[in-house]
Amino acid sequence: MTALDSLSLTPHAFENLGIDSQTSLADTALRLAQKSGASYADIRIGRNQDESAYAREDKLQYFNSTFSAGFGVRVLLDGSWGFAGSRIVSETEVARATAEAVENAKAARLLQTRPIELEDIPAYRDRWIMPVAQDPFTVPVEEKAAKLLGINAAALKAGADFCNSQLWIVREEKLFASSRGSSIHQSRVRIWPMFTVTAIDKQTGKFATRASLLPARQAGWEYAAAYDGEAEAALAAEQAREKLAAKSVEPGVYDVVIDPANLYLTIHESVGHSTELDRALGWEADFAGTSFVLPEMLDGLQFGSPLMTVTADRSQEGGLATIGWDDDGVRGTEAEFPIVENGIFRNYQMALGQAQLIGRHRSNGCAYANSPTAFPIQRMPNISLQPGADGTTLADLIAGVDRGVFISGSGSWSIDQQRDNFQFGGQVFWEIRNGKLGPMLRDVAYQARTVPFWNSLDGIGGRDTYELHGAFTCGKAQPIQIAPVGHGAVPARFRGISILNTERKDI
Amino acid sequence: MMLSPDEVKAITSTIIARSGAEACTVSVWGGDSRNFRFAGNEATTNGAVSSISVSIESSFGKRAGSATVNSLDEAALEQARLRSEEIARLSPENPEHMPPLGAQTYEPEGARYDAGTAYTQASGLAHAAASAIAAGRNYEVGIAGFIEAECGFRALANSAGLFAYDRGSSAELTVTARHTKRAWSGWAGASQNRFPALDPVGLGERAVGKALFPGETADLDPGVYTVILEPAATADLVQRLAYSMAARSADEGRSFLSKPGGGTKLGERLLDEAVTITSDPGSQDAPDTLFGPDGVPKRRTVWIERGVAKTMSYSRFWAQKMGCEPVPFAFNLSMAGGTVPIEDMIREVKRGILVTRLWYVNVVDPRTLLCTGMTRDGNFLIENGKITRPALNLRFNESPLSALSKIEAMGPAERPGGGWGMVSAPPLLIPAFAFSSRSSGI
Ligand SMILES: [Zn+2]
Repeated sequence: MTALDSLSLTPHAFENLGIDSQTSLADTALRLAQKSGASYADIRIGRNQDESAYAREDKLQYFNSTFSAGFGVRVLLDGSWGFAGSRIVSETEVARATAEAVENAKAARLLQTRPIELEDIPAYRDRWIMPVAQDPFTVPVEEKAAKLLGINAAALKAGADFCNSQLWIVREEKLFASSRGSSIHQSRVRIWPMFTVTAIDKQTGKFATRASLLPARQAGWEYAAAYDGEAEAALAAEQAREKLAAKSVEPGVYDVVIDPANLYLTIHESVGHSTELDRALGWEADFAGTSFVLPEMLDGLQFGSPLMTVTADRSQEGGLATIGWDDDGVRGTEAEFPIVENGIFRNYQMALGQAQLIGRHRSNGCAYANSPTAFPIQRMPNISLQPGADGTTLADLIAGVDRGVFISGSGSWSIDQQRDNFQFGGQVFWEIRNGKLGPMLRDVAYQARTVPFWNSLDGIGGRDTYELHGAFTCGKAQPIQIAPVGHGAVPARFRGISILNTERKDI
Repeated sequence: MMLSPDEVKAITSTIIARSGAEACTVSVWGGDSRNFRFAGNEATTNGAVSSISVSIESSFGKRAGSATVNSLDEAALEQARLRSEEIARLSPENPEHMPPLGAQTYEPEGARYDAGTAYTQASGLAHAAASAIAAGRNYEVGIAGFIEAECGFRALANSAGLFAYDRGSSAELTVTARHTKRAWSGWAGASQNRFPALDPVGLGERAVGKALFPGETADLDPGVYTVILEPAATADLVQRLAYSMAARSADEGRSFLSKPGGGTKLGERLLDEAVTITSDPGSQDAPDTLFGPDGVPKRRTVWIERGVAKTMSYSRFWAQKMGCEPVPFAFNLSMAGGTVPIEDMIREVKRGILVTRLWYVNVVDPRTLLCTGMTRDGNFLIENGKITRPALNLRFNESPLSALSKIEAMGPAERPGGGWGMVSAPPLLIPAFAFSSRSSGI
């Protein structure tokens, strides 16, 4: 990725908060923190821009543009963390918040019998600016409105009763500076055009929806411009209508073939979250949950079949977690590691101050704070299921099934807090009979437990079937923090999976 | 940061006076919060955050646009105003756009704001957390939890003369105790508008008591069981139900309230007679906010009365189209409780499950409100009128429409915290609740 001269590419409500003034504010915070006796301090100063638009049928109902700024100061004082942040970015507010962070650290001491220790990490003075072919914030409102209204019109024309579409664009700019001497400027942009069509059968009172499958991406407007939303909307309308008349699935045990637009979320929930070290250590026990994957299982647990290799990275072009450094100031290249290698569990994802607790050396670059005013915690980098070595196609996977279900798109999902038992729906389902796709099915959800599920994997798509998807809004921590994360995936086949029928005839 | 009504007016009146649009609405919101997290009996993260946002909606006829900025800097506000006007000019007409609402009368502030709670000191929060942790001091448990005190305000002013202001404070403590041998876990939580109303020792003891409950964990077969839902579990189901009561989707035929052939189920008995769900800015248990997003005043609203669907929420546009009054969506809800203590309910159960809280509940089918999710942190087997041992967590596939269609006993309502919004809900004894699979998750 190339470095540009200027961080901000568009006129900004926080123009006076340029790199120089940010650096000077950071110096103030770090100086005051050290004066208060902090053994470590860091600050994140952010300027974000986001745009969201919403259209239903032939009406643009909402278009908002947000500029936000903020900062957060973190101090380590006598082995306790203290954090404070504010949306008002000024010299006096930085001084006030730094004092407040110190006050929190002093108060936290009451709850700290074991001092928090941090590993050494290298200091960097650098920048990382994501190249954007077409800055989405400079694209006129009319063009964005036309994109959404075009999608809705295509859906209605193809027989949908309703269609709503949305566009969400975010630019995240931040400075990270630490008492260890780092000063890192970064900027990235992500975009997500999406829609949902609804088809209704008035007589029976039944209705069906079909949501778009286009992944959210780190990209500029060129990604939205290249997307043929009208074609997908027309297809979605037909599929929603077809769903209404589709055969309700007979519950039972089936072989399933799952496409990347569904499997990415299963990877996210069952592999991504279960291998977060803070969860395994019990730090998220009160809300997001813990993990069935215990530290003693490193290099031993047969997480999945030998076909399963899941890797972490911060470098895939377009990945929602692609960036140069994480929010602890750890270089993104540290986040290139296998989580599961040929079926064996190899690595947790870690943030600062965790590695030593399981006998490892240092963070592997998996920290993120969802806003400059949030405490950075361990969050997923891009986490992807790697393709198989041969050139297996989706058709090959289906050809290997006598009686099964093909599942596409992500629907309703749920997983237990230790990431063991899950139930996922989808957008569209087809029967597989004798190696071929049959008629569409409805009311399908698959229910499984993480380790048996991944060990039942017996077929995996090749390099040509790889797709990059992602979750725009993964939630964790208290107060909850929303994080974007990329997931590459290939279609895969799983044997003997329990399929439920989700229709309740008694209601 | 908190702003007073006068401070807000100074900002909004300047923006409205400068507006170049036909109509202008300014929302201002912000607050201060402080929190501590702990796990394994130790402090983990914390934070003290001050926030402020100003959002400006401008419109020309049926064209509207909005811009938001979190700054009180005059230049930034002016830039936001101009941006909102530019978006409005360039946007296509939205036939559903409503002109701004004129001046309104709102309910009094009620019990939502407490100045002391708003500025609870770091040491006060840490001491409360320490009290909860101390409940496990002599036992083999690790305690994790979250304590937060916060205050916030929200104000709305527009070019038609409306001014609305609302503020609230809240204090929340949730505690999860985990047996150090990973044998079992327990949760307790509370949400209050006043910090002193939290009982950290009591919550800590409840969580520890559950985590230490003796006996070999039962591995139950999935199936239909009699259950006792503690308030946190009830609240989760009440939210799924009440948050799905929008009139528009019901009228459009895509809601659990839609009737085959057209029309809605409003006025029909859908649930057990014991079920009454209300929202009310004057409520003592879960006071609702004073106004909806565009300034429509909130009044006491009965959503479900003795099992009958009584009210749906209406946006201003949909209300006008359907010829009725707008009814803002309620965020804070109360389900009326009863008088039966949980101990008495347990005595009535021959074989069943006590559920402390639910987790990762998602709607699977919006037509039937079928939800799936897990039990978590305190699942117990009840046999012959007694809790006999912990029971492994189970996944359920159940709809609040059927779960709440037969209730055998209800206890006093409380506000358990740990969820989204403030819901006050009672513990319930329910004869039939469908579990579909096992989990090893503790
Ligand atoms: Zn997630």
